[in-house]
Amino acid sequence: MKLETRHWTFLGLFVVITIVMLLPIRLSVPVSEQTQKMYDFIESLPPNSILLISFDHEASALPEIRPVGLAIVRHAFAKGHRLIGLSLFAEGTVIGYRMMQNVAAEYGREYGKDYVYLGFKPQYIAAILSMGESIPRTFPEDYMGRPYEELELLRGVHNYDDVAAVISIADGSLTTHWMEYGAARYNLTVLAGVTAAMVTTYDPYIASGQMYTLVGGLRGAAEYESLIGREGGGSRGMLAQSTAHIYVLLLIVLGNVIYFLTRRKRGL
Amino acid sequence: MDRKLALGICFIFGVIMFAQYFSQHPMARAVNQAVLEYWQIIFAFTLLVGVASFMKSSFRKMRKPSDRPYQILGLLGLISMPVLALVWGIKAGTPFMWMFENVQAPMQATVFSLLAFFVASASFRGFRARSLQAAILLGAASIILLSRSSLGGIVSDYLPPVAEWIRNNPSMAARRAILIGIGLGSLTTSLRVILGIERTWLGGSQR
Amino acid sequence: MDIGTIVAGILTLCILSFLYRDNPIYKMAETLLIGVSIGYTLVIVWSTTLVDILFEPLFSESKLALIIPFVLGLLMFSRFHRRTASLSKIPIAVLIGSGAGVAIPVMLEARTLKQMSATVMPLISGSGWPDISALVVMVGVVCTLTYFYFSREHKGVLGKSARLGTYFLMIFFGTTFGFTVMSRMSTFIGRMEFLLTDFLRIIK
Repeated sequence: MKLETRHWTFLGLFVVITIVMLLPIRLSVPVSEQTQKMYDFIESLPPNSILLISFDHEASALPEIRPVGLAIVRHAFAKGHRLIGLSLFAEGTVIGYRMMQNVAAEYGREYGKDYVYLGFKPQYIAAILSMGESIPRTFPEDYMGRPYEELELLRGVHNYDDVAAVISIADGSLTTHWMEYGAARYNLTVLAGVTAAMVTTYDPYIASGQMYTLVGGLRGAAEYESLIGREGGGSRGMLAQSTAHIYVLLLIVLGNVIYFLTRRKRGL
Repeated sequence: MDRKLALGICFIFGVIMFAQYFSQHPMARAVNQAVLEYWQIIFAFTLLVGVASFMKSSFRKMRKPSDRPYQILGLLGLISMPVLALVWGIKAGTPFMWMFENVQAPMQATVFSLLAFFVASASFRGFRARSLQAAILLGAASIILLSRSSLGGIVSDYLPPVAEWIRNNPSMAARRAILIGIGLGSLTTSLRVILGIERTWLGGSQR
Repeated sequence: MDIGTIVAGILTLCILSFLYRDNPIYKMAETLLIGVSIGYTLVIVWSTTLVDILFEPLFSESKLALIIPFVLGLLMFSRFHRRTASLSKIPIAVLIGSGAGVAIPVMLEARTLKQMSATVMPLISGSGWPDISALVVMVGVVCTLTYFYFSREHKGVLGKSARLGTYFLMIFFGTTFGFTVMSRMSTFIGRMEFLLTDFLRIIK
């Protein structure tokens, strides 16, 4: 068994993360302006407001995006808002349904009255535009196969005019389409919970006001958890996250030191 | 003939969808809704074509004995999902969803998590300050990483606000320029597609 | 421990084995993942789209207008035969044409004009003093755009502007790299949490 340089860097990361995760330490993080804005938005809505929650992610991003979605859904249910869930990625369908079902049970919310799950529709641009025209025509039935008009919560909901905002829980660029098609065409207010890797993609949209705000990555989840006073995957992972950053920084420094020393040796 | 027909259909649908954007007339809204439904249905069929294509390629690869066990496993995985869905349905708690939650989701998330190791390895082996541009890239990355770790506040109180300023100003400016470029590019490409100047989507020669 | 956690834990370890090198255990898990993922998408798309918005309205409610997208969809299968393959260009034309038609106003309004206006407006609507940050954004946008302008050689003022643009781009790439590291580490931390808490039960 011959180990190469990359194996040592892998092993280092594995050992560092494992040791840190075994430590019973919780790292507190300051709340960013954007996370605070999301919290304030949900707080400021009148009770019983209707929010669309779109689970626009795949299973691959689940470890990072789940704590974000969970914190937001918990807050919305705790504030007494009504939620309509859907997914524009096939894989997000059951993930979103399970999350809403479990959190609704925590807060004693009732299916059909306090929350509804519409399920999945492919071709996200068409789905977003189609819902702007008519949500019942886009989703004639909910995820459980019940006709749209039979569900109490959905009776007054025809299109985006009847919801306060959409919160897209996304791991890619799908939220862009909510802004470019939903917001630009139908004046829908768009908020998002996204993976950290996508944060810089959305910065221009926040600066231009096309997106109201976002909660970014595990760190954003930890911030949101501290705001709602409920520990979750975000808070639990912060020490490991922080250590992983330092580990990568040390690797960058070490790599550069070796590079410059070698260059000097060669007389370059 | 087929190419001309396709170009004509592309033009008609392009013009209809462009024009309806500016109208609130019930007829325009109805046409918009109908075309969007067409869009979703055709897209669903394209996915079916993709599945058929995957099966075809799996059977072809099966001719090579060393690949056979893998291809059989892949096909078994593919076939098992519709069978489970047909017998027990697809709602939460069914064997179909058990497969998703305990086979697909954990594996997919783990495949993605492998990237953490490759990012670490790349940081050590390839992230070198070889030029001014590379040094700027390295500096920006280091500031962001440091500010988002517990050391950020310890090193200096100014580090987190500086990192935020970099993200919200110079970094955002470059991203915005890329966005504007993509926007203008998409705009002209869409126009060229509708007018039949851009024909690469038809395949074959440009003529 | 339930059987689902055991299966998920073993498959997680199979995938992680790739970190040593490509091996048959990883390959088995990988092909199983591909098959199951395609099977899952097939079932979800079939039940939520083809059944809900095509087959049921067409066959149960006799909405005959839906025959058109149904036929267009079926034409996609003509790709599998060389003689009929060109027919698949018709449904593709519907997708491409309508997509392009919708994209024109959206790209113009949401991606170009709004972003341009957000670049200029903070400079104008200030309190009389130029806002340094807004100025940096303005310079950054213009210089980065000139870097992507290839119709003239990057010499003189254009060259200097394009060069400055590359510095802005490097800052963006560096920032994105920092956030990407965060993202990838979070995913790994999530998997480790599953392994240590649910599968191995080392963390209570």
